[in-house]
Amino acid sequence: MTRVRVTGPRSTAASASGRLARPLEIGEDSDVGRVFVRSLIRSQLRLAVVIASGFLLILVSFALLLALVPGLADSRLFGIPFDWVLLGVGIYPVIGLSAWLYNRAAARNEARYRDLVEDK
Amino acid sequence: MNPAVGFAAFIAVSLATAAIGFYGLRISRTTGDFYVASRTVKPWWNASAIGGEYLSAASFLGVAGLILLSGTDALWFPVGYTAGYLMLLLFVAAPLRRSGAYTIPDFTEARLDSKAVRRVTSFVVVAVGWLYIVPQLHGAALTIRITTGLPSWLGSVAVVVVVCLTVVAGGMRSITFVQAFQYWLKLTALAVPVVFVLLALAGNGVPAVSQPGTNPTSLPAAGAYQNISLMVALLFGTLGLPHVLVRFYTNPDGRSARRTTLIVLGLLSVFYLFPTASGLVGRVFAPELARNGQADALVLLLPGRLVGGTAGELLSALVVAGAFAAFLSTTSGLVVSLAGVISQDLLGSSVRGFRLAALLAAVVPLGFAFLTDSFALAGSVGLVFAFTASTICPVLLLGIWWRGLTDAGAITGMVTGALLCGGAMVTGTVLGAASAPGWLAQPAAWTVPTAFAVMVLVSLATKNRVSPSAGRIMSRLHIPERPVATERSPR
Repeated sequence: MTRVRVTGPRSTAASASGRLARPLEIGEDSDVGRVFVRSLIRSQLRLAVVIASGFLLILVSFALLLALVPGLADSRLFGIPFDWVLLGVGIYPVIGLSAWLYNRAAARNEARYRDLVEDK
Repeated sequence: MNPAVGFAAFIAVSLATAAIGFYGLRISRTTGDFYVASRTVKPWWNASAIGGEYLSAASFLGVAGLILLSGTDALWFPVGYTAGYLMLLLFVAAPLRRSGAYTIPDFTEARLDSKAVRRVTSFVVVAVGWLYIVPQLHGAALTIRITTGLPSWLGSVAVVVVVCLTVVAGGMRSITFVQAFQYWLKLTALAVPVVFVLLALAGNGVPAVSQPGTNPTSLPAAGAYQNISLMVALLFGTLGLPHVLVRFYTNPDGRSARRTTLIVLGLLSVFYLFPTASGLVGRVFAPELARNGQADALVLLLPGRLVGGTAGELLSALVVAGAFAAFLSTTSGLVVSLAGVISQDLLGSSVRGFRLAALLAAVVPLGFAFLTDSFALAGSVGLVFAFTASTICPVLLLGIWWRGLTDAGAITGMVTGALLCGGAMVTGTVLGAASAPGWLAQPAAWTVPTAFAVMVLVSLATKNRVSPSAGRIMSRLHIPERPVATERSPR
């Protein structure tokens, strides 16, 4: 039985992954390519920041809701105090929904980039 | 608790881990096998594996323990542990996969074209890994003491020995399905007892929740600053964890890296319902555990107390097995990624170097674990997140999204973050948990922005040092892969 340790230059790893799915290497070849790439990066960053801020806003509003609305934390849902339901269960669907929305929109940005590059 | 239960559970999990490790040794034989296998892993398997490696002692024991201690304030911990993956998805997942880097030092070296950056990143990664292993060993010590009555140190030593044996022998590496199995084992080990406990309570006619508001320790509630600082640490700390990045490499492309992360979020959300439920039940029916310093053992003791009899012992055995699975999987994931970094940068890339590095990676934290005391597991892991958020997170985020980052900026930023956050952690420990002021106990709210600011300002001041390959690498990170023939084209 022989055993091989995976070491060595990163280029090995890069080329191994490149065999399956190669990035569309248009990027820095031309001025137009550079503009396309920069606008792709900008739109992905804007998307990520928007989703992150939206999620943080909801998180903060949950905390404020519990802190500021009197009696809400003590009210009960199915016999469990409301603050436990909100923080222990209610936040998770919000996280999942944000992630799902992001995945869809990020894939759309990439598809738009791909169309631009292929039309050129 | 019956000591035999603890022994049996620990031995069974250790043997299973070792056996799967040795079996895996036989199937991953060549470099080619390694890469081919890693690129055909389905998102579901990969996501389970990420969950398996991520859910550590802090999640398995610590979250319920902290909820028992401090009630609703502690609910922010599982929320932060999960939402950290949302931030990872938004800012890091796909670009990091596309970078082709296998470790964080690989990434920073390639992006900034600097060996010095690589060396500093390696030091930070090793520090993070060591800090993160210590709470795992504390968890093991606690579990051994509670379940078998043996001295605590045996638990830490046992975990280190099992991990070293499997890692040095070559197991637990790149073996996605071992870690995937660990996730489902941990979920079962936590969920089944909780369901039985709830059934037992319902059967006894006790109202499901009588008074969870009672405060068993009369600890003061955490202020707004503490909660905000904690969330900063957890949200931005996850994306710098060294053992998480390695798992992303096994996705075939950027898009599937995103899909994997979405599934991870689902798996974590489901998992954390159960420690939360345990904590709530514990607050009502076992508040005395909080007073005699056994809060972190809540999950282990609950089935025996509330179900009892043979059923209670079987359920206890299941929980103990799950707990050891948590210590072993997280520790071995960390030891493997640390050993990779240590051997590559310090000892030279030979098999002997890797083995020596693995020993170093596991034995040093064992020393720390003996010297320090376990306070609250979830709390000490929270501090590790603060440390990654102040060091690795800025260099990753700016490296991925900002062309202007320079090697000088990256190094000064990481060093500043490490000194500030590390200093706060040491001072806080010396002062003791009770007397340390809030801004020292939860430093992330000021150390993370400072590290970012230093990194940006120094980069702006050293504009001439921007790596000439920055533009090319940035394109590589963000440009989508060519669609593979089998994939449906979008729209």
